Amino acid sequence: MPVTGRTALLAAIGSLPVGVVAPSWTGFLAVNVPLALACACDFALAAPVRRLRLTRAGDTTTRLGEPADVQLTVTNPTARPLRGELRDAWPPSSWQPGTEVTASRNRLDVPPGERRRLTTRLRPTRRGDHRADRVTIRSRGPLGLFTRQGSHRVPWTLRVLPPFTSRKHLPSKLARLRELDGRTSVLIRGQGTEFDSLREYVPGDDTRSIDWRATARQSAVAVRTWRPERDRHILLVLDTGRTSAGRVGDAPRLDASMDAALLLAALASRAGDRVDLLAHDRRVRALVQGKAAGDVLPSLVTALATLEPELVETDARGLTATALRAAPRSSLIVLLTSLEAAPIEEGLLPVLPRLTQRHTVLVASVADPHITEMAGARGSAEAVYDAAAAAQAQAERRRTAEQLTRYGVTVVDATPDDLAPALADAYLSMKAAGRL
Amino acid sequence: MTESPRARIPSVADSGTASTSTAPTPRQLWTRSRGIALAVVVLLVAAVAIAAVRSGDRHGRLDPRSADSQGSRAVAELLADRGVSTRVVTTVKEAGDAAGPDTTLLVADPDLLDDRRQSRLHDATVDSGGRTVLVAPGSPSVSKLAPGVTADPAASFDSTLSPDCALPAARRAGSADVGGVRYDTLVPGAEACYLDDGLPSLLHLPATSAKDVPSKDVPSTDVPPKTGDSAAGPPKNKAEHAPQKGNQAPSEPPARGDTVILGAPDILFNDRLDEHGNASLALQLLGSRPHVVWYLPSLSDDALDDTADDDSFFDLIPSGWLWGTLQLTVAAVLAALWRARRLGPLVPEELPVAIRASETAEGRARLYRKANARDRAASALRSATRTRLAPLVGVPAARAHTPEALLPALAGRLHSPGQDPHALLFGPPPTDDADLTALADRLDALESEVRGS
Repeated sequence: MPVTGRTALLAAIGSLPVGVVAPSWTGFLAVNVPLALACACDFALAAPVRRLRLTRAGDTTTRLGEPADVQLTVTNPTARPLRGELRDAWPPSSWQPGTEVTASRNRLDVPPGERRRLTTRLRPTRRGDHRADRVTIRSRGPLGLFTRQGSHRVPWTLRVLPPFTSRKHLPSKLARLRELDGRTSVLIRGQGTEFDSLREYVPGDDTRSIDWRATARQSAVAVRTWRPERDRHILLVLDTGRTSAGRVGDAPRLDASMDAALLLAALASRAGDRVDLLAHDRRVRALVQGKAAGDVLPSLVTALATLEPELVETDARGLTATALRAAPRSSLIVLLTSLEAAPIEEGLLPVLPRLTQRHTVLVASVADPHITEMAGARGSAEAVYDAAAAAQAQAERRRTAEQLTRYGVTVVDATPDDLAPALADAYLSMKAAGRL
Repeated sequence: MTESPRARIPSVADSGTASTSTAPTPRQLWTRSRGIALAVVVLLVAAVAIAAVRSGDRHGRLDPRSADSQGSRAVAELLADRGVSTRVVTTVKEAGDAAGPDTTLLVADPDLLDDRRQSRLHDATVDSGGRTVLVAPGSPSVSKLAPGVTADPAASFDSTLSPDCALPAARRAGSADVGGVRYDTLVPGAEACYLDDGLPSLLHLPATSAKDVPSKDVPSTDVPPKTGDSAAGPPKNKAEHAPQKGNQAPSEPPARGDTVILGAPDILFNDRLDEHGNASLALQLLGSRPHVVWYLPSLSDDALDDTADDDSFFDLIPSGWLWGTLQLTVAAVLAALWRARRLGPLVPEELPVAIRASETAEGRARLYRKANARDRAASALRSATRTRLAPLVGVPAARAHTPEALLPALAGRLHSPGQDPHALLFGPPPTDDADLTALADRLDALESEVRGS
């Protein structure tokens, strides 16, 4: 029954006259019948919730860790003033932990025929789509003794994008990319570098890079400069199978992989390469292809936002087949997976030759800093057993990495914080060496 | 949580947007609830119909006010004609209070009484000096109400039996429908009548005392029914004794009460009263005293614990406190309702999987510890150290685990005496946990020395 604290308080105070003045049915009814009548009046005078009109506006996307504001407009078309409380219900992970109750509740005071706009500030703690649940309104009568309560469904979806924390590394990596540009061939001559331009010879340039024809045409000695090749094709392959669900620190491996993939995509699109993305476990979870350079990062971020690890074993054969279809010409395939011995040996290794045959393959894996911590543990028998188990795990990872290297695969194994810059470095060095 | 400046909207009432409310409309409510409503109606109708059909003959059973076939109004009327008054009581307290030397107490269904009521009833009747008639007590009640008597588990085969005893009432009545529960007794002076297979269905127990009350304390006043004036029709009169006035009290009322145990209630039923000697037997058994107290045990008998002179706790406190507490209870219920109402339901959300990536390594560490696998732990640690040392001393990784390659390269980098790199890196496994811990420390020391050199 939608009574309020005031009703209960009045009933409690009523025990004094009932107990002292008229301890009988007469006294009992003399207190409770007026109270019930007042409640009935209050109910009749409270604004009906059903006839209210609600609309939403506001943010539809935000980055993880950043707030989002969603506005809710409450229109009161009735002739009765609306006083009461409103709860804008969202999934628990949409709120900053600890503020779920206070942040979702608003006081409401809408005179007849007017409207009010309320702002709900969300601070999502999880990636993905957050859908608004119902809006519940409790409308109080003028005496505050009785309420009407009802709910409205006002759909709204807030997409929370991956945080892309590694974007702080982007300026330094871009600087390194620019350094690659315009170098003379002496430093970085490789089979894949492209002719860029001619410039005047300065002392110190390699005499082998002097272009004698061009020198003959003009008065000064000209040298050829080189730039890293452009318009290469990069396919980022995210393994979203069970090994990506393991938590490293506070986040799943997949989140660290995403972060690294985003940094690499940002860097590669600036370097003029074309970036595609494939997320796969037993089936394709996300596929982004053929986006223009300026468009690639937003579409990647949007595609990654809703990606969650699945607790299934990755189908390496299907993943390879899809990757081969998605990467038509000789390109760089960056496989973000984990270096667990069993899945790699049984899943990936048998089908790896099909990839390496036509493409350059780079495997990036998230290492667990906790294992490193365990490996350094000393002092007691337990700690030493921990260290031994960690050393064993590290040896297995190393062995798996060596097996991959034997197929001509570049392996990057780093902790979540270091993975993104390490992967970017690996990409840059491959580019510098002209291996793309 | 901000409020926008006030905005007057011209015609909010007729804006055409569909309502977002989740409250069901009256039509939806009706659609949803009509099935349940129909089921409730069907259930009620069925319950009433079944009750009407089934109530039949059990209704008013052994009630002296009931004219149903199993009622006992005929007996009561016949008794009234003979000046014996009948009073119906429904509580054990009333029954106990009514018991007296000029009263016959009939207990209609003693098996319905629980232990405490049985003993209470027995206490009230044993010293009253009146007669107690127990109608078909089974084994649950007979031992308490009539000590020394047991009920035979096998019921009598025949319903109509012949008296076969010296009890005058039985002899006068002749055969009667008393066949039902059969009893066995060790009480001295008990008269066993209407035997079936050796066990009686009617038992007359004399006054239960060591006094020399004669077993034949049946009052001489027998009350045979008059014919033709009873509601149940004229019973066949087998009692040939000339009727006397029923209210004539027994000339010598016994100091203590006697007890009659009837094996079956049939002789008291309206529709059976006129068969055999039923009427005669019933009137003789019940008409020995001027008053009959007819005790019908009922569920509303809850005043057992209240003795007359003992006020309960609630009688002792002032009524103001009681009413005040009642009002406070109302307030508490309202407060509970107030706090119980949620502002909308909980929002469910799928939770992410939380598996630590290092779980397998931790599990392996626990396994090592549990199995005391010092050999494996030591070899893992040594192998890790060798792998790290090999590049430091210029040995290829492939040959890091062969002593012949690693140790000579290592020898040049070690300066502190007393170290045996061979025993440390390739030696036997440690014998206890302390050894293992020491091994780990010495491996660390070796590595840092090589790095530092």
